[in-house]
Amino acid sequence: MSKVKEQMPTLIMGAGLLVYGLIAQSGALLPIAQYLHTHKTLDLQVTMCLIVGCIALAGALVNSVRKPGHSNLDTFILQPLGGIVLILVMAMLIRWYAEPLMKIISQSLQPILGFKIYKVLNLNYVVLGILAGVVLTNTWGIPKFAAPGVKCARFVLKMGVIMLGARYSFAELAKLGVYSVFLVGFFVLGTVFLVLWLGNIFKQPKSMTGVLSAGMGVCGVSATVAVAPVVKAKSSEMAYTIGTILSFGIVCMFIFPTIGKLAGMSPVQFGAWAGTGILNSAQVAAAALAFNAVDIETLKVAEIFNITRVLFLPIIVLVLATWFGKESGHKLSFKTVVIDKFPVFIIGFLILFFLSSIGMFSPPSHYKGKYIDVSYNDRTQVTHEEWETLNNAIAAGEFSGLTPKQLEAVTDLVKQRQVAGNFEDRGNKKEFDHVGRARMTQLEGILAAAKAKQIQLSADVKSAIKHAVKQVHKKSKTVVTLTDFMIWFFAFGLIGLGMQITKKSITQAGGWPIVMGVIAGITKATLSFFVVLWLIKDVVLN
Amino acid sequence: MTEEDKKVTIETGEAGKGTTKLPKDANTEELEERALSVFSSDRNEDITALIFCLITTFLVVLFTKWLV
Repeated sequence: MSKVKEQMPTLIMGAGLLVYGLIAQSGALLPIAQYLHTHKTLDLQVTMCLIVGCIALAGALVNSVRKPGHSNLDTFILQPLGGIVLILVMAMLIRWYAEPLMKIISQSLQPILGFKIYKVLNLNYVVLGILAGVVLTNTWGIPKFAAPGVKCARFVLKMGVIMLGARYSFAELAKLGVYSVFLVGFFVLGTVFLVLWLGNIFKQPKSMTGVLSAGMGVCGVSATVAVAPVVKAKSSEMAYTIGTILSFGIVCMFIFPTIGKLAGMSPVQFGAWAGTGILNSAQVAAAALAFNAVDIETLKVAEIFNITRVLFLPIIVLVLATWFGKESGHKLSFKTVVIDKFPVFIIGFLILFFLSSIGMFSPPSHYKGKYIDVSYNDRTQVTHEEWETLNNAIAAGEFSGLTPKQLEAVTDLVKQRQVAGNFEDRGNKKEFDHVGRARMTQLEGILAAAKAKQIQLSADVKSAIKHAVKQVHKKSKTVVTLTDFMIWFFAFGLIGLGMQITKKSITQAGGWPIVMGVIAGITKATLSFFVVLWLIKDVVLN
Repeated sequence: MTEEDKKVTIETGEAGKGTTKLPKDANTEELEERALSVFSSDRNEDITALIFCLITTFLVVLFTKWLV
């Protein structure tokens, strides 16, 4: 009887998931999902809830009637099942409800505050997941039934880092050219060594210094997770590092665009600076858009500089493995570092990166699996209402403020009902694609000019153009699915990581890691500012 | 020296059920870390993660690319 009582939380969660899955399948949740903009995930919600619910119920029933043993099934599945289901339920609540709700609230508060809280505080599943875990541990504590499941968190986080490799390819490096790759590499390694030196000066634990140096040098969460096992970092040290990086990024998001404008940086120069100096990818994008919402080049350059940093991850892992081994007083040969100490899961990251580079998931030139397809297709056409709106707008002279090329793009959109090249060139794919892409760029320019209030367009016209542009932006289904897996792995792992962080462990870390992070961050931002101004003129992308 | 004196208490956090008593000569750092994982070593954890990811990737490519 006591065994059944122990399994009661898992049974309740399993039954709850099944009920939720069935309600979602009936379509009753569609209005709420549409309000939260999560309606496209409803199929996934049904599938996940039904599968996890069934496994939870079956596992809890087995646990209720069976004596716990020491087999692999017990250690890896039956015992941690309760905790795994609890974390999954929390991850589902965060991804399907808390995160979309944050976006809606911050959008509604934007007119009052002048900015989006969601973007400024980076309130995505990463931060919300860690916070949820920390709050649970430090208020009610980890429920007894969930304790073994929490121990799976780091394993799942590692799976997230491996899957990260699928999002990148050599094509990104090739776009930058050797010159800029060296620049990024210099700042990544420079920051790592600076933090290691500061750690020595401030006499911080090696594990804390090691994980912070990777986080500050490469980028936020993934680098922290990847390096943690190499330097034996504790969960609290990982969380501290992620917190420091995100807080520093918030300040950068405001200061970078202002300084960039005051210094008269070109869009390309600012993109290079933001991509080098700001650590978190989302914050890099936000700063680039704040600097220049019209010229898409700033965002592209910033993103590519930022991505290149991630590709230095395996090198940083090797560097820190060597440093940690030496600091711990071990004599390390090349074999020890590269074969014995090198974490196997980073090899997984490299395998997926390699597969992505050879075009296994989508053609390697497609940035993160995204590509533009301007070929004729019924599904890429605008709707009849949108076509009428655009046609009437042209007749009414609503597009008077447009450049001749922009006007030509809109006229052709009305003529062909979709973004495409010239009909008579359809046999010449290269020329057809070239013209189609140029038209898409012009349409994007119209939207950016309207956003910057340089021209006045009605909401319907903007919506029609936006839809036409969106229709030719395709994503590789394989990369999208692999990215989804990565996000779920990170969400699960970070909630579990948060659950391992107690008030005591944070107090033990003290304030010095923040001081070190701020010094390293400011040094990197200042140096990269001057280097970018000095070296980068206009063309950095091949 | 009693059996109790030969032991040392380590902090394993809430996920590791608070504290655990171990022999004094045990590698406490390693054990403290292991208490927060279901795997007996980092290498086992890494290899399992790698195998799981490769299987996931194979299935994703199979159902989104090769069988479509």
